[in-house]
Amino acid sequence: MKRPGLTASMLWPALIVILPLLFGPLLVLLHESLKPHIAGRVGGDATSALTLENYALLAGPEYAQYFLDTFRIGLISTVLALMLGYPMAHFIVRRASPIMRRILIASLIGTLFLSLIVRIYAISMTFGSLGPLAGFSRLLGIAPTSPSVAELMVVLGLLNTTMPLVALTLIGTIQNINPRLEDAALSLGAPHWKTFVQITLAMSVPGILSAGIIGYAFCISNLVVPMLVGRGFVLFVSNLIYFRFSEVANFPSGAALSIVMMVISLGIFYGLLHLVRTQWQEAGK
Amino acid sequence: MTKRLADALFGSVYYLFLASFIGFSAIPVVVAIVLSFDARSFIGPFPPTAFSLQWYEKFLADDYYYQGLATSLLVSAIATVASTVLGALAALGLDRAGFRGRKVLQAILLSPLVVPNVVLGFGILMFASRLGIIDGMPRLIMGHVLITFPYVMRTTAASLVGIRSSYYEAALSLGARPWKALLQITLPLARTGIVAGAIFAFVTSFDDVGISLFLSDAFTFTLPVAILAQMRANLDLTIAALSVIFILATILIIVLLDRLAGLDAAVGRGVYGR
Amino acid sequence: MAVLDLQHIRKSFGSFTAVDDVTFEVNKGEIVALLGPSGCGKTTTLRMIAGFERPDSGRIFIGGADMELRPPYERNVGLVFQDYALFPHMTVAENIAFGMKNRGTPKNEIAPRTLEVLQQVQLPGVENRRPHALSGGQQQRVALARALVTRPDIMLLDEPLSNLDAKLRLQLRREIRTILASFECTSIIVTHDQEEAMGLADRIVLMNRGRIEQIDTPARLYQSPKTLFAADFIGHANWIHGTLSKAAGDAGIVATPVGDVRVTMRQGSPEQGPVTLCIRPERLAITDGTVEPATRMQAIAESVDIVGADVRLWSRLKDGTLVQSLDKNIGRAMPQPGSEVMLGFGPDDCVVLPASDAA
Repeated sequence: MKRPGLTASMLWPALIVILPLLFGPLLVLLHESLKPHIAGRVGGDATSALTLENYALLAGPEYAQYFLDTFRIGLISTVLALMLGYPMAHFIVRRASPIMRRILIASLIGTLFLSLIVRIYAISMTFGSLGPLAGFSRLLGIAPTSPSVAELMVVLGLLNTTMPLVALTLIGTIQNINPRLEDAALSLGAPHWKTFVQITLAMSVPGILSAGIIGYAFCISNLVVPMLVGRGFVLFVSNLIYFRFSEVANFPSGAALSIVMMVISLGIFYGLLHLVRTQWQEAGK
Repeated sequence: MTKRLADALFGSVYYLFLASFIGFSAIPVVVAIVLSFDARSFIGPFPPTAFSLQWYEKFLADDYYYQGLATSLLVSAIATVASTVLGALAALGLDRAGFRGRKVLQAILLSPLVVPNVVLGFGILMFASRLGIIDGMPRLIMGHVLITFPYVMRTTAASLVGIRSSYYEAALSLGARPWKALLQITLPLARTGIVAGAIFAFVTSFDDVGISLFLSDAFTFTLPVAILAQMRANLDLTIAALSVIFILATILIIVLLDRLAGLDAAVGRGVYGR
Repeated sequence: MAVLDLQHIRKSFGSFTAVDDVTFEVNKGEIVALLGPSGCGKTTTLRMIAGFERPDSGRIFIGGADMELRPPYERNVGLVFQDYALFPHMTVAENIAFGMKNRGTPKNEIAPRTLEVLQQVQLPGVENRRPHALSGGQQQRVALARALVTRPDIMLLDEPLSNLDAKLRLQLRREIRTILASFECTSIIVTHDQEEAMGLADRIVLMNRGRIEQIDTPARLYQSPKTLFAADFIGHANWIHGTLSKAAGDAGIVATPVGDVRVTMRQGSPEQGPVTLCIRPERLAITDGTVEPATRMQAIAESVDIVGADVRLWSRLKDGTLVQSLDKNIGRAMPQPGSEVMLGFGPDDCVVLPASDAA
C-alpha cells in the first residue's frame, strides 16, 4: 500500500532546493537575454522595453561559424569515440578475463574521474610541438603550423573523455545481447567479422545511438578543451558565452547565447534520445 | 580460405582500434608523470635528460594552490552531503510515486546533467546577484549542489530497480511502519547506489570548471580554477607535478568506489547511459 | 468460528476485473487453498487480505475485526512470499527477529523464540547465516519461521513451493503441512498447482476469471466437480456430450453419439437437456467380460503410455472422440494399437455437468 504522504515528504526537499536552483537561473537568463545592451555596461538596460535584438544578432554569419564549428568538431569527436569505444566495450564484455575486465573498467572510470584540466594538460604536453607524439599531426597530413593542428588537439581532448564515456555506456548494451546468437551465427557458417557486423553490431544500433547522443551532448557543451588547446583558432559556443561574461561583459548577449545553447542541448538530448527509444523499442530495452 | 583471410583482417582492425583507445588514453598520462620529474628549468623536448623533484617543491611552496584546494574540499564536501541526502530521498520518492507527471519530474530533476555547465554557471551568477548573494562561497555551493544532485538521484534510482517490492511488503506484513520499512530495508539495500552516487558527486564537484569559473571570485576560487589561471599565465611543469598528485588521488577514489559500491555500479545503466 | 471472513470482494485494475464478488470463510485451524490458473484473481485476493491492495467493494474481517482502513502493518497476518523476500542484508536470526521487534515482543523473549522457531521448522544452527547461503528449501523454511514466530491470526502463503524442484516440492509439502498443523495456524495457500492444493489443504477455493467456481474438500472437488471448469482443471477427464432425460427414481439416461448412458442423478446436477459427461480415466475400464458394466462403448486402441505406476490407454470412440483410461501397471497385457477394445463404466462413475462451450 503506497502512502502518498510519505512519498511526497521524500520528494519535497529536492523540489524545494533543486527546482529554484534550476529554474531561477534559467528565468533570469531569459529575462536578461531580452534586455537591450548598452556598450560599456555589464548588465542589460533595465529601463528600456524588452527586445529580441540579442537573438537577432546571433543569426549573423560571424556567429554561425562558432555554432558550426561546435557541432562539426563535436560530431567528428563523437564518431571517432564510438569507433574506438565500441571495440573496447565489446572486448570488456566478450573477451576479457574477469581480472582484465575489472582493470579496464577501473581505468575507464579512472580516466573520467581524473581532472579534465590535468588530462588536457597531459595531451598538450604529449601532442604539442615538443611532445613525444608531435609527429602525429604530420601522420595525418597536417602541417604543424596550420590552424588545423588546433582542431586536431581539440578533437583529441574531447576524445579523451568521450571514449571512456561511450565505452562504459556500451558495456550495458553489449551485455544485453545474448552470446548464443553469435554462436548460432558462427555455427551457421558466418565468419567472425560477419557475425560481429550482422549480429552484434546490428543489435547494438540503439545502444550506439544512445551512447553517441550522450557523448555528443558532452562534446558540444565543452568549455575547457577549446579554451586550453584551441589556441584561439577553435572556439565553441561555451567559450563565446564565457567571453561575453569575462572579456566583453555583454551579459544580454551572453544570456541569449546561453538560452539558444540550452535549447539545442536539451533538444538533441531528449529529442533524439526519445526518437531512438521509440524507433527501436524492442532492441533498446 | 577467403573467410579466414577476412577474419584475420577483421581481427587486426579490432585490435588496432583497441590499441588506439589505450594509447590515446594512457600515453599522455605517462608523459605527464615523466615530465613531472624533469630537471630542466624550461619545457624542453621529450624525454627529459635529467630528473629531479624541483617541480614538486615549487608546487608545494605555492600558497595559491592550497587556497584553491581548501575551497574545493569545502565546496565539494558540502555539495556532496547535500546532494546525497536530496538525491537519495528524491529517487526513493519517485520510485514509489504513482502520479502522472512522474517521468517529466524525473527528466527535469536530471536535466542539470544535460544543460551545458557554462549556461548553469552564468545563470546562477546572475540569479545569485539578483538575490543579493555576491560572495563566492554560497554561490559555489548553490552551483555545485545543482550539478551533483542528478548523479546521486540516478545511481540510487538504478539500484532501486533491482530491489524487489516484496522486501518492502514483507517488512510491512511483519508490522513495520512504512518509514521504518524504508529506513531498515529499502535504504540499506540501495546503499551501493547511494554510495556510488556520492562518490560521483564528489568527483564531479571537485573537477568542475564550467560552473566554478563563473562563481569564483578573487578570494574564493576552486583548485581547478586556480590551475587554469596558472596554466594560462605561465605554462611550466608545476602542473605536471600536480597531475601526478591528481592521478594518485584518482586511483585512491577508484579503489574506494570499488570497495564501497563495486565498479559495476557505474557501468551500463548506473551513472552513464540513459 | 471464522477467523477470516470475505464478503462480496471486488477489485478491478482499470477495465480488468481481477476479483469479482468473492465470498468465503476460513475457520480456526483450517488450511484453505486458493486454487486457479494464473490471472484468476487468487493472488489479488491474497494481497487484499494482507492489506497491500484495497478492495473496490466488499468487506474483509480477520478475527471478527473489519480490516477496511487497516494498513498491512496493523494486521496480524503472516505472509510467506513466492520469492520468500528474506532480507538479504540481515542474518537469519535478524530476519526472524524483525517481525517480533515491530510487533512489540519483549526484548528478552526474542532470542529464545528465534531459536525455538528454527527448531520447529527443523533448521537449528543457521541463525547466523545470510539468506543467500541457504538452499531454496531452507530459505522456504526460514520464510515460514519468520512469518510464524509472531503467532499471526492467519498465515498467507503465496505459491510456496513454486521455486523448488519437483522432488523437494513433494517433501516440503508434507513438512509445511506438519509445521502449520503444529502451530495450529489458520492458513491460506495460493497456488496454481492442483496437486499442491490437494496435498496441503483441508478445503479448496477454486477460482476462475475472478470468480469462485467451487468451494469444497479436495476429495469432493475431484469426485463431484460442479462445473466443467472444475472438472477440467482438477485431474484428467474424458468428455462425452449428450442429452439428459429423467428415468425412474434417481436414475437418468443420457443419449450420446456412442449410445445411451445410464447415470445417477445427484443433487444440484441438471435434470434434463444438453449435458456433458465427465468420466475420470481411472473410472473408464477395459472390460474383459467377467463383469458387466452399465455402459459399454466400443473403441479402437490407439496407443499405450506407461507412466510409472500406471498405464494409460488412448483409444478412439466410434464418433471420433479420443478417450483415455488409466489402469494400474501390474503386468497385464494391454491391447495392441489398432485392435478393438470394449470400454465400460457404471452410473456412479460419471459426473453430469451442464453443457457449456467453456470446456
